[in-house]
This record gives sequence, structure tokens and C-alpha cells, in this order.
Amino acid sequence: MKTFLFIVIVIASGAAAGLIHGGANLIFVEPSLDQAIGIENQHLFASGEEKDTPEFRAQYDDYRIWQKSGQVFAGVILGVSIGSLFGIVFALSRNSLPGKTDIKKALVLAGIMWLTIYFIPFLKYPANPPTVGNPETIVLREILYLTFIAISGFGAVGFYKLSQKLKTKKIIAIAGYAAFIGIVFVAMPGNPDQITTPMDLVEHFRMMSAFTVSLYWLSLGLILGSLWNHYKPHKEITPSFN
Amino acid sequence: MSQSRQISVSKNGVPVIAIVALAMIFATGLFVVGFDQGHIFSLVYGEEAFHDIYIHELTHDMRHAAGFPCH
Ligand SMILES: [Zn+2]
Repeated sequence: MKTFLFIVIVIASGAAAGLIHGGANLIFVEPSLDQAIGIENQHLFASGEEKDTPEFRAQYDDYRIWQKSGQVFAGVILGVSIGSLFGIVFALSRNSLPGKTDIKKALVLAGIMWLTIYFIPFLKYPANPPTVGNPETIVLREILYLTFIAISGFGAVGFYKLSQKLKTKKIIAIAGYAAFIGIVFVAMPGNPDQITTPMDLVEHFRMMSAFTVSLYWLSLGLILGSLWNHYKPHKEITPSFN
Repeated sequence: MSQSRQISVSKNGVPVIAIVALAMIFATGLFVVGFDQGHIFSLVYGEEAFHDIYIHELTHDMRHAAGFPCH
């Protein structure tokens, strides 16, 4: 395998998909974030912690512009990060993934990883807009979310390996994983925070958030698959005379 | 014609060095966007960074949008 080319392709596809994710968030998710932070500000005014003055408004607007610019920047960082994991798994599993082209293989893997380490964890611990989270439970919520993702991801790999070893059909591995994650889903404690924010705002935010993350995974599979198809980093380096 | 390659590869032919490098990028990026509360700047600027939490502010909107726990 061409090591350098492999790493470059993985990082480039992660960055491109991350850029798409961050850009889509500006359009689809930021309106919900603005609404949620607006509610937060109302609480601050009501409690007397801040006054609704032009100075506050100006400062707040600057601050939000700074945070929104970060949306795209953070999109690229997160995109490269998740893309790196995707690249590792793709390189290791490419030979056993279904599909004739690398684009199809990459899309299949993106779908599996989207489901196991994003969507099922999302159903258990759905995304929340600002104002919902209780600062006192943040560490607990982080541990629960990461643990669930790790259990789901390693669980999927584990059942796949087991079915390979026992030479059973793939459907058995899928059924095994489904039963396993179902038990974990029920057994793990839920998000401890009470939601006092209007539910339609929260639901809308969740739908938009799930949409753009899904768009990220789709883009990642398509871009990595296309680059892989074109540059074929898995081909051996032709022996050179030296 | 001998092919002298000393790069260690996994059984799938993927260089271990590439896996390690990408795994480090994965862990660092995930921490910065998903979990950092000023830890990275605190290495350079000390305790004060925890009050300013620059990275947190900059990655904050994505943290919510991508579904990580936050405020
Ligand atoms: Zn937050």
C-alpha cells in the first residue's frame, strides 16, 4: 500500500465532508441554535443577570458571529477526525466489503458506521440545543454517550469477527448485534436532564442535526470511495531498482 | 531483483504507521470538538485558559449540531 497517498486521501476526504457538514449546519442548524440562545438570553434578562441594552446586543452579536465562523472550522476538524477512523476501518475491511467498486464499498461501510456509531447512539441520547443541558451533569452525559458509542461500535466489530470465525451467515451476525445493542439500549440509563425548552424547538433542532450528520457520512463515503477508486492507494508500489 | 521493504504491515497489507497516525488524528480531533473545555490552551497559557475556553467557544456550535453533550 502507498502509505503517504493513503493518508492524504483519508484526510482530504474527511476535510471535504467536514466542510460540507459545517456549511450545511450554517443553513439548517444555526437558526435553531439562535432561537435556543435567544431563550437563554431571556432567562438572563428575567433573572437580572444581564440587561437588554444595545451594548449587550452588540456584544452578543459579535460573539455569535465568532461562534458561527467556528461551525465551519470545527466541521473540518471533526470531519478529518471521524474521517480518519473511517479510513482505518475502510483500509482494514475493504477486501470483505460487498460491492464491485470502491465507491460502493465505501458507501456500504459509511452506512454501517453511520448506523452503529451515530444513529443508534443518537436514538438513545438525542442531540440537544443550548439551554437544555444541566452543567452539573455534563461529565456523566459525556461518559454515557461515549460509552454507548464504544459498546455499539466494538459490538458490531465483535459480532462480525465471531461470524467469520464460526463461518456463519452475515445475517446471524446482524441479528446477534441487534439483540445485543437492544439489551444495552434498554439497560443504559437515559439522559438525566429535564427538558424545559419548548419541545417543538428541540425536535426541530434534532431533525436538522441528524440530517446534516447523515449528509456528512454520505459525503464521506462518496468522496473517500471516489478518491480511492481513482488513486488506488492499496496497489503495491512497483519495485524499483536500487 | 529484490524488494526490500521494512515497513511493518498488518495482515491486510495496511501499514501500521498509517493506522497509528490516523488513530492519533481521530482521538485529537474528537477531543477538541467533542470534549475540550480549555485543556489544550491550558498547556500553553496555564489555568487562565480554563476561564476563557477559546476552543470551546469556537467549536461550541458544532458540538451541539453533531450531537455531543453540552450545555
Ligand atoms: Zn453548549
